[in-house]
Amino acid sequence: MNEARRSTRPSPSGKCTRRGFLKGTALAGAAALAPTVIPSSALGRDGAVRPNDRIVVGGIGLRGRGVGDLRWMLPNPDVQFVAICDAQKSARDRVKGMVDKHYGNTDCKVYPEAREYLAARTDIDAILMATGDRWHALMSIFVMRSGKDVYTEKPSCMTIAEGQAVVDTAQRYGRVYQTGTQRLSEASHVFCIEAARTARFGKVHTAYAHIAPWDAAEMRHDWLPAQPEPPKDVVDWDAWLGPCPWRPFNGAYIRGGWRGHYDFHTSCIGEWGAHTFAQAQAGLNCLDTAPVHYQYVKNTTGDGMVTTFANGTKMVLSRGNKYWHGSCGERFDFEDGGWVAAADGYSKPEGSSPKLLADFKKVVADYMARTQRPMNHMRNFLDCVKSRRQTVANAEVMYRSMTTVHAANICMWLQRDLRFDPVKAEFINDDAANRLRSRAMREPWTI
Amino acid sequence: MSNVRRTSAWIAVCLLVATAGAFAQEAKLLATLKSNAPLKEKSDACRLLARIATKAAVPTLAALLDDEKLAHMARYALETLPDASVDAALRDALGKLKGRRLVGVISSLGVRRDTKAIPAIAKLLAHADAEVAHGAARALGSIGTAEAVAALQTALASASAANRLDLCEGILRCAESLAAGGKRADATAIYDRLRGLKGAPHHVRTASLRGAVLTRGKAGIPMLLDALRGSDYVLVGAAARTAMEMPEPEVTTALADELGKLPADKQILVTLTLGTRADASAVPALCALARKGEPAARVAAIRALPEIGAPSAAPVLVALLGDAEATVAEAARTALGALKGPEVDKALATMLEQKDPKARCTAVEYIGRRHTAGSVQVLLKAAKDADETVRLTSLKILADIAGQPEFPALVALLLDAKSASETRAAGDALSAICVREAQPVPGKVVIRKAVYGAVGKGPSRDVTKEVAGLVKSGKLAIDASNSNFGDPAQGIVKQLRIEYTANGVSMVKTVGENKTITLMAGETPAALVDTLCAAVTKASAKPKLALLRVLRSTGSAKALAAVRTATKDADADVSDAALSLLCGWPTVDALPDVTRLAKTGKTAKTRILALRGCIRLAQMQVVPPAQKAASLKEAMDLAQRPDEKRLALSALATVPAPEALAIVVSQLGTPALKEEASLAAVAIAKEIVKQQPAAVAAAMPKVIEATGNKALAKQAQALLAQSKRGARRK
Repeated sequence: MNEARRSTRPSPSGKCTRRGFLKGTALAGAAALAPTVIPSSALGRDGAVRPNDRIVVGGIGLRGRGVGDLRWMLPNPDVQFVAICDAQKSARDRVKGMVDKHYGNTDCKVYPEAREYLAARTDIDAILMATGDRWHALMSIFVMRSGKDVYTEKPSCMTIAEGQAVVDTAQRYGRVYQTGTQRLSEASHVFCIEAARTARFGKVHTAYAHIAPWDAAEMRHDWLPAQPEPPKDVVDWDAWLGPCPWRPFNGAYIRGGWRGHYDFHTSCIGEWGAHTFAQAQAGLNCLDTAPVHYQYVKNTTGDGMVTTFANGTKMVLSRGNKYWHGSCGERFDFEDGGWVAAADGYSKPEGSSPKLLADFKKVVADYMARTQRPMNHMRNFLDCVKSRRQTVANAEVMYRSMTTVHAANICMWLQRDLRFDPVKAEFINDDAANRLRSRAMREPWTI
Repeated sequence: MSNVRRTSAWIAVCLLVATAGAFAQEAKLLATLKSNAPLKEKSDACRLLARIATKAAVPTLAALLDDEKLAHMARYALETLPDASVDAALRDALGKLKGRRLVGVISSLGVRRDTKAIPAIAKLLAHADAEVAHGAARALGSIGTAEAVAALQTALASASAANRLDLCEGILRCAESLAAGGKRADATAIYDRLRGLKGAPHHVRTASLRGAVLTRGKAGIPMLLDALRGSDYVLVGAAARTAMEMPEPEVTTALADELGKLPADKQILVTLTLGTRADASAVPALCALARKGEPAARVAAIRALPEIGAPSAAPVLVALLGDAEATVAEAARTALGALKGPEVDKALATMLEQKDPKARCTAVEYIGRRHTAGSVQVLLKAAKDADETVRLTSLKILADIAGQPEFPALVALLLDAKSASETRAAGDALSAICVREAQPVPGKVVIRKAVYGAVGKGPSRDVTKEVAGLVKSGKLAIDASNSNFGDPAQGIVKQLRIEYTANGVSMVKTVGENKTITLMAGETPAALVDTLCAAVTKASAKPKLALLRVLRSTGSAKALAAVRTATKDADADVSDAALSLLCGWPTVDALPDVTRLAKTGKTAKTRILALRGCIRLAQMQVVPPAQKAASLKEAMDLAQRPDEKRLALSALATVPAPEALAIVVSQLGTPALKEEASLAAVAIAKEIVKQQPAAVAAAMPKVIEATGNKALAKQAQALLAQSKRGARRK
């Protein structure tokens, strides 16, 4: 283990001295954009002991993308990853192996049941979570209700009501929440958002947001053929289903085949809209609201749906590569005919004006100075765990962009235009649409 | 009947039909629920009823609330049904259910905020089943009335440790509901009572402080400051977070007043809070801390200034640029670059007046970094500074940010340059503008071949059509990415190679994955070339040389004419330099000139340089291969030395024509050239073996005989065999 990592660990007494704290703070301040100044709550639970500068992190449901997030998080010298919880034994063991290898010990603990895990590990400051979509909101609420901060993968809520409950919980307990819409912390996207948000080159009249090129807005309702349920200590099927309606076990679900099923997924619109709607709404200065009108399109995906905000600006859902090349793109069209766009794979944004693009580095640097947010989504979360500030993809940002996702889905499911009141979070004069804002959770899982 | 009436009638009919359809569907779904249909069908029926069910469905669904397999789906249909009979049914079920199903019904009553259920749910707060007790606490919290909170508070007084957290959650939800409903004093009382709870979890203490302060508004500021001053670090963090939520300007004043009295770690916390609040009234306090304090706290204070957008802090930041503490100086530098407003420009202008050249240099750097509307004019003025370092720094920055309007002024600066460094810096700035202002001409880019795939050996794809399509759509910056071309080599590091011509100039560019190839095909605006040409006629020797170099970077026909004229300049230095520029000219327009020079140049050096230029430009021509081969043969005939002949052979290797093959084969007998000729012959043969098998068949035996390279001989053997098979097919 190298010295730098060792130096971030607590002293044997579990306390750090003022001198040591300030020295570490100054060094961190020199190395990173945001000073890593405010210690985590790891050792400050009773308030009597000065908190340590280390963030103690645990994981829940880390596979695939979650393991990628873990690889992103582990090298941060102020992180100590201590435990993993998963309904699947193989997934628990894989993460434990990875973490133990990283630290050169066997200290990472494993837990099969989330609520017991959260209650038992009062030493944990923050949870890294990448379960399936069905669990994102409820587990985030459980995590925050246990006094921990949370970084969760997206799409981060299955319904509008779940999203609102996440916001309420984060506010109630002063928890730091970050959803994994990491493009909000990537320079190309930040440039486009800032160019649009500040009307740097004129007012934006329309944003375009990418929706996933697979699946459809209407999702599957069938059950895969029943297979014998594995022993509970291998896969806890009841826990895997969580708040969703019961159905018989099939191994395909736990291997990622849950996608495309109505009970577990948020459709092609949610798959990428979770990212791109946040990107587009950030540029339109509409991250504190949602569109008030959704125009139904006669296709299976929502491609081309025009949504309109109360201020008249539009956001158009787009499935193909008409407005960008690459995935999860957004584009902003200015009133003077100009445009900017970014998507995955862009080394820098594209736009109609070379002069606009020439300011790429400056615009991003100004944004970083203005917000004290680094171009690193994970680092932004860790900084905020210490500073108690709001992350770039905080609960409100998640709720607003996911509300747009759900409203667009409901528009497609009901096959008619919808009007929405973002303040009341309800559809106007549309009982059927309003009934789709929430789903009763399967007992005993409740908010 | 009027149109309006007709439309209204039509809508009414549609609604009637739709309603009738919904009733029929509801009846059918309810029949399914009452039947012996499989679980899946009944589950689907509940899901569909969740969208359309009416009061009529309630009895059937309520009957399922105690069904082991369908209880959840019954609630799924009932929970969102807007009818009071649902509440009654759920309340009725409370007394009949146990375990999970009871938890579910309690939850649904909470979601529906059924106030009539409060007494019954309250009785469950001390239930032996922890999930029931916890669910009851949260449900009462969701209902959120005074009656609900009273029940929760009573239960909390004697609650077990296991139940406390959910009771607190319920109480907090109630307080929020009451505050949102205008009963702020009631909410405040609830929060205050919760603050007194001994042994409360840290986040409950956070929540109760937050609520107690927020519901008090301005009157909560003393409480906020007490927490901030205290030694309970949970509450210190909670106070900071709460302060970020408070809109009252008095909060900023209170925090700013407190800043100087706090220890460094809390100072940092408060500066971050003040930054988030973005209230300019905090600027004086932040500036004071920026000047004096622990370095980490000073850095935090400086970083908060751009968040607030405080241009009035510019003079302070300017002063901190030279701070002995490196982290402080760096933070000031970053902050100054990000601040906006005329105050910042004024502070930097003042800095430009300072006697110390270092300070003026720093000012110039930041004026450049800020790149505001007036920056370029200020920098042009600074480029005439008494100090050379300031002048050079200004010119270097102007190279990055100046444009066409500043071009004449920069030409004038070049003409008046006081040193060779300055002349070069001005020339570099002019060249940079010529490139930057060049207007893209997509039609002038012709994609010849593009390949995306593994670096070295490995799978790849011909993506010529895709790249040509992107260019046709107006893109000149092509990303080497899977999103453009798919992934021909999964898990392998890839590259993109594009062969193309731009303005007739053949080019090849290769970049790694996720990098960008910019296809240069710009034309420098004529006005810039005209300005340069006019200046050349007036300039003395050294500036003239610099201007000619700038002209070369434009590659325009008028620039070529100016350089051609300069080759006859009376000053030998100028004419020699012009000849060199001509030989290295970037476009094929100069081919006749260099060919003539290769033949008639006065010195051997000129002829060699010209011949090399001739070979390079001949290769770049966009003409039929046979014509290109002829040009290169002419160059080869002019070459006196093996070096230039090898260069010509190397160029011929890229010409896929039997004429080129014949030329290189003719050199196989020359010992000094035979290996280069063999390589070229095999390269050409590979390209033309399918179309011209006879020519290849005739050439390859000679290559095999001439080359000493065994690997090459093997390739030639293979080509020979292939050519014979091809000849037979023909």
